[in-house]
Amino acid sequence: MLIRKRRGWEIPESAATSEAVFRDRRRLIQALAAGPVLASGLLGGGMRAMAADEADPSARLYPFKRNPKYTLDRPITDAKYVEYYNNFYEFGTDKDIADAAQALPIRPWTIKIDGMVEKPFTIGIDDLMKKMPLEERLYRHRCVEAWSFAVPWSGFPMAALMALAKPLSAAKYVKMETFMDPKVAPGQNQFFYPWPYVEGLTIAEANNELTFLVTGMYGKPEPKQDGAPLRLAVPWKYGFKSIKSIVRFEFTDKRPVSYWEALQSDEYGFWANVNPAVPHPRWSQASEREIGTDKRVPTLIYNGYGEYVAQLYAGMKGDQLFR
Amino acid sequence: MYPWYDYQRRLSPLKLAVFIALFVPGLWTAAAFAIGALEPRPLTAAIHHIGLWTIRFIIIALAITPLKAILSWPRLILVRRMVGVAACAYVLIHFSLYVTDEAFNLATVAHEILVRIYLTIGFTALVGLCVLAATSTDGMVRRLGRRWQQLHRLVYPIALLALIHYFMQSKLDVWEPTIFFGIYGWLMGYRLLAARFAVRGWLPLYWVAALGPVAAALTALGEAAYFHLAFHAPLLRVVAADFSLQTGVRPAVVVLALGLAVALAGAVRAVTMPAPKGRTRFARLPASQPPA
Ligand code: HEM
Repeated sequence: MLIRKRRGWEIPESAATSEAVFRDRRRLIQALAAGPVLASGLLGGGMRAMAADEADPSARLYPFKRNPKYTLDRPITDAKYVEYYNNFYEFGTDKDIADAAQALPIRPWTIKIDGMVEKPFTIGIDDLMKKMPLEERLYRHRCVEAWSFAVPWSGFPMAALMALAKPLSAAKYVKMETFMDPKVAPGQNQFFYPWPYVEGLTIAEANNELTFLVTGMYGKPEPKQDGAPLRLAVPWKYGFKSIKSIVRFEFTDKRPVSYWEALQSDEYGFWANVNPAVPHPRWSQASEREIGTDKRVPTLIYNGYGEYVAQLYAGMKGDQLFR
Repeated sequence: MYPWYDYQRRLSPLKLAVFIALFVPGLWTAAAFAIGALEPRPLTAAIHHIGLWTIRFIIIALAITPLKAILSWPRLILVRRMVGVAACAYVLIHFSLYVTDEAFNLATVAHEILVRIYLTIGFTALVGLCVLAATSTDGMVRRLGRRWQQLHRLVYPIALLALIHYFMQSKLDVWEPTIFFGIYGWLMGYRLLAARFAVRGWLPLYWVAALGPVAAALTALGEAAYFHLAFHAPLLRVVAADFSLQTGVRPAVVVLALGLAVALAGAVRAVTMPAPKGRTRFARLPASQPPA
């Protein structure tokens, strides 16, 4: 157990490049990426809407009390990386989408709970948060691209939402959906991809104690680029399972086809449990780059969360559990 | 002989400028690396930047022969070898960075090259580029004679392998590799047409003008077929997207614009600088010049 005098995310200024400097450097490098033939002007004009700055009424709730049960074997990743190194294809296919994501309006934000439930309903994010047991947890986050973060997420266990939703016993899966609004998310204009983003879990997975619905991180409301105002964290699965900016939970007896599965089912499957022994078709998953320290560390089965989740898959076999 | 001299051993400003320019992306990447601009995954970012410039240099090298004819700019040939050698140098850096990223574990590197097909393909292209670079000294050109030209035609399949490597490693966004495929199609199309219809090395401009739309159409069809096969996107809708800006500037549109720009530049050049009577369109180059 770690004994902390200061909250883990409060990294002393001197220890890290300031956020502003870091972002300027990232911008500089974009000029290099744009080639002579492919001047960035061709890209159809960077859509860089700035923060609409609607007040976030949940801000005063933070920070949440940390649940000491979930600890880390490594330092918390500097927040600037988690805030500016994002996969959020709705806003662009590179990692540098933080500015573009500011166009997303996050209030009002209504979540629909429907399908095989006792009584379908919709609920606003702030009302939902009032009903949920809010806490903070430290989780590892393992991207399928073989890098990882360690993040203090704020939110509530998905099991609490399940209790509120009251799925029928015939329901076997919960399908989650990201917002769909090509006007604010230019990537969604690319109709040849199966928007909106969809992910799914079995009911047992959704009820697992690790499965966490995230409303914030680093003691503050979730930044838009990280999936505000509500995203998933399933730390034993590859990052793409942890769907962002959720607007719908639909309970069903049919296994949902997730976004990446629809695109490339041989590379990204439904289960996507972390396993160092099962490579992605294009690269090994045996180790990962720890963002921030830039160390290459061995990847663990179920990302090190086997004691919580391995029993979910007892009796199931095959590599498809792991991609 | 220094790379900035021409065949008469005079300083060539063109060669000097290109020589310096070829270092810029590499030095920029190194500087960005040094100041931390490539964080949080500096090695990965550097692999990507250098890889991109490798493929760009390959394409530029392939574009020199057509451009020198279309623009009636024979001295352009002076820089072709330099660009090709730079492509080889960059891919060696690209590969070294990959080896560094794998913590210099050569067994892992060899294993990955064998089992990841996009790496197998990239490595084949790397070996090919090294062979071409090693045989591009003046001495080797002389020694190999006619066989030099045959050997160096390998650049066409090498470029194709490099493009396939690039395309395969793309996750979802294939915008830029698709454009490069289109440009490659244009460059190969030019050579096919030139072999058939060129007069004294000069392909009539109407062929050049026609090539742009054809390459663009092939790009559009190739892209639609890819999205259809890979993602089940409706073929016609993908093609239709080329006629709107809703999904951004499509690769086919970029290829068309480049093709037309080259034809236009050729036309402007032909008008402003008509070939003097009694002379071929090109200044004769001294005998020591490597075959074009
Ligand atoms: C002529 C040969 C090669 C060319 C032209 C080339 C070019 C490229 C290009 C353009 C990219 C993508 C850059 C981007 O989109 O940002 C790339 C990525 C990459 N290349 Fe190469 N490459 C070549 C050979 C190799 C070799 C021999 C290796 C290693 C054995 C290699 C390893 C990689 C890796 C690891 C990536 C990144 C993949 C990822 O991040 O998923 N390449 N290369």
